[in-house]
Amino acid sequence: MALSNDELKAAILNKAMTAPKPQLYIKDFYECDPDTKPRAVKNAANDLVKEGKLTFWSSGSTTMYAAKGRAKDEELRDTAEENK
Amino acid sequence: MPKHDTPLLDELEKGPWPSFVTDLKRQAEKKPECWDILGQLELSFKDRITHWKHGGIVGVFGYGGGIVGRYSDVPKQFPGVAHFHTVRLNQPSSKFYSSAKLRDICNLWEKYGSGMTNMHGSTGDLVLLGTKTENLEPLFYELTHDLKQDLGGSGSNLRTPSCCLGKARCEYSCIDTQALCHHLTMHYQDEIHRPAFPYKFKFKFSGCPNDCVAAIARSDFAVIGTWKDDIRIDQAGVKGYLKGDYIPNAGAHSGRDWGKFDIQKEVIDLCPTGCMWMEGDTLKIDNSECTRCMHCINVMPRALRVGKEQGATICVGAKAPILDGAQFATMTIPFIKVDPDNDFEEVIEVIEKIWDWWMEVGKNRERVGETIMRVGLPTFLTVMEITPAPQHIKEPRSNPYVFWGEDEVEGGWERDVKEFRKRNAQ
Ligand code: HEM
Ligand code: HEM
Ligand code: SF4
Ligand code: SF4
Repeated sequence: MALSNDELKAAILNKAMTAPKPQLYIKDFYECDPDTKPRAVKNAANDLVKEGKLTFWSSGSTTMYAAKGRAKDEELRDTAEENK
Repeated sequence: MPKHDTPLLDELEKGPWPSFVTDLKRQAEKKPECWDILGQLELSFKDRITHWKHGGIVGVFGYGGGIVGRYSDVPKQFPGVAHFHTVRLNQPSSKFYSSAKLRDICNLWEKYGSGMTNMHGSTGDLVLLGTKTENLEPLFYELTHDLKQDLGGSGSNLRTPSCCLGKARCEYSCIDTQALCHHLTMHYQDEIHRPAFPYKFKFKFSGCPNDCVAAIARSDFAVIGTWKDDIRIDQAGVKGYLKGDYIPNAGAHSGRDWGKFDIQKEVIDLCPTGCMWMEGDTLKIDNSECTRCMHCINVMPRALRVGKEQGATICVGAKAPILDGAQFATMTIPFIKVDPDNDFEEVIEVIEKIWDWWMEVGKNRERVGETIMRVGLPTFLTVMEITPAPQHIKEPRSNPYVFWGEDEVEGGWERDVKEFRKRNAQ
C-alpha cells in the first residue's frame, strides 16, 4: 500500500538528509515509496521545498534537490571568501 | 569597474557584420559591469576555457525555475560579474508585443540587471542576461505586478512553450497555434514553474510542415499542423503561374533572374514522393502519396492550398546531446484533432501518457528521445497504444516494427518446436 502524503514527505526528507550525496535527482526519491506514482513523489518533494525543508539546486538544464543547508551554495562560497 | 584590454575580442568588431563586442562596449558606458564581461571573455579566449561556473540555488520564492544561477570563477578579477544570473521571461504566443511592452521590459532590466538581453533564446523566452541575487525578488515583483509578465521554465521543468505565427498571419496554418500554446502554458503552470521531470521537456507548435519554430528539431513534443484530405488545387491559378501572371514563391528569391517559371523543373521534379504530374495544362496530385512537405504550396500559393480536414502530426523526442549529435523528433501520431472547443483534450491525453511513462522509465538526465532510442520505437508505440504504420519506419531492415505477441502465436512461446519442425521441415 502506498504511504500517506505525510509519511512520503518524511521518507523523502530523511533520504535527503542521510544520503551520501547531498544533491539528489527526483528519481532518487521514487524508491522512498515504489507504490506512489512519480508525479505524486515530485509533488511531495516540491511541497517540502515550499516548506523550506528542501532546496532546489539547478545547473540551468537539470534540477536537483537537497536538504536545506546541504546544497552546494555559491553564495556562501563568496561570503566565506570575503571573510577569509 | 575599469575597462580591460581586449585585443582578441576586438578582432570580432572587424568585418561588415554586427558585433556583440561593439554592443557590449556601448552598454558598458551605462552599465560598467559590462567591462567585466568583456574582460572575463578575453581571459577565456586566452585560457581556452570558460570562466563561468554554472548552477546554484538562486530563484524567487515559490518558483523552481526561470532563473539560472551563473557565477564567475574569477570574481576577484571581475567583480562586476561575480554573480551574473540569467532570467527567462515567458514570451507571449508568437512573440507578439507592443513596442510599449518591449520598452517596459528594457527599462525594468536597466533598473535591475545589466541591460543586456537575448531576443529570443532558443527556448523561445526573452532572455535577460546578468543580475545579482538581491535584485531577483524586486525584479520579479515588478515584472508580475506592473508588467503582467511571468518567468519561463528552466532546469527539469516544462520549458516555456513556443509557437509560430499560426492563423494570426499565415494562410498555411492548419491549427490555431497561439490558442494551443497559450492554453497549454496556462494548463501546465505548475510544470513550468517547478521541476517536474527527470530532465527538461519542451513543447513547440507549428501551424504547418514548414515548421517555422523548428519544432521537429528542438522539442520533445512537436505539434505540427497538417491535413488529411487533398491539397486544394485552383487550376486557373496553375495556369496563371504557367503564363507568368503570378510570381512563384510569392516573390521570395526574386533578387535574381531565374528565367521563365518551369513547373516541371521547379515543382514536379522536386516533389519528394514524385506524386505530381501534368495532363495538358492541368496539374494532378496523387494525394495518397503526398508526404505534406509543403514544397508545391510554397512555390504556388495562389494555385495550391492545404486541405480542409485539418489537424496535426505529433513528433516526439528531438534533442541535441553533445556526444550523439542532433536528432530529429520521431513521427509518432500521424494525425490528431486539435480542437479548442474541447480544450485540446486529445493533445493533453497524449502528453500525459508520455509523461507518465517517461517519468517512470527515463533515467536521470535522459531526454524522452533518448529513452525511446534506448527501449526501441516498438516498445514506445506499444506504451502509447499506437498501431505501427509504414511511416514509423525510418528505413527498411534497421528498425523492424512487426513483432508477434505471445498470444498471437499458435502454442505461445512454450510450444514444442521439435514437434513443429517435423511438420515444417527446414
Ligand atoms: C532457391 C533458392 C533461394 C531462394 C528462393 C532465396 C530467397 C531469399 C529471399 C526471399 C530472401 C529475402 C529477400 C529480402 O529480404 O527482401 C533472401 C535473402 C538472402 N538470401 Fe536467399 N534464397 C535462395 C538461395 C540463397 C543462397 C544459395 C544463398 C547463399 C549462398 C542465399 C543467401 C541469402 C542472403 C545472404 C540473403 C540476405 C539476408 C538479409 O539481407 O538479411 N540465398 N533469399
Ligand atoms: C574481402 C571480402 C569482402 C568484403 C570487402 C565484403 C564487404 C561487404 C560489404 C561492404 C557489405 C555490405 C554491408 C552493409 O550492408 O552495410 C557486405 C555484405 C554482405 N557480405 Fe560481404 N564482403 C566480403 C566477402 C564476403 C564473402 C566471402 C561472403 C559470403 C561467403 C559475403 C557475404 C556477404 C553477405 C551475405 C552480405 C549481406 C549482409 C546483410 O546485408 O545482411 N561477403 N559485404
Ligand atoms: S509553420 Fe507554417 S503555419 Fe506556421 S508560420 Fe510557418 S508557414 Fe505559417
Ligand atoms: S506537398 Fe510535397 S509531397 Fe505533397 S504534392 Fe506537394 S511537393 Fe509533393
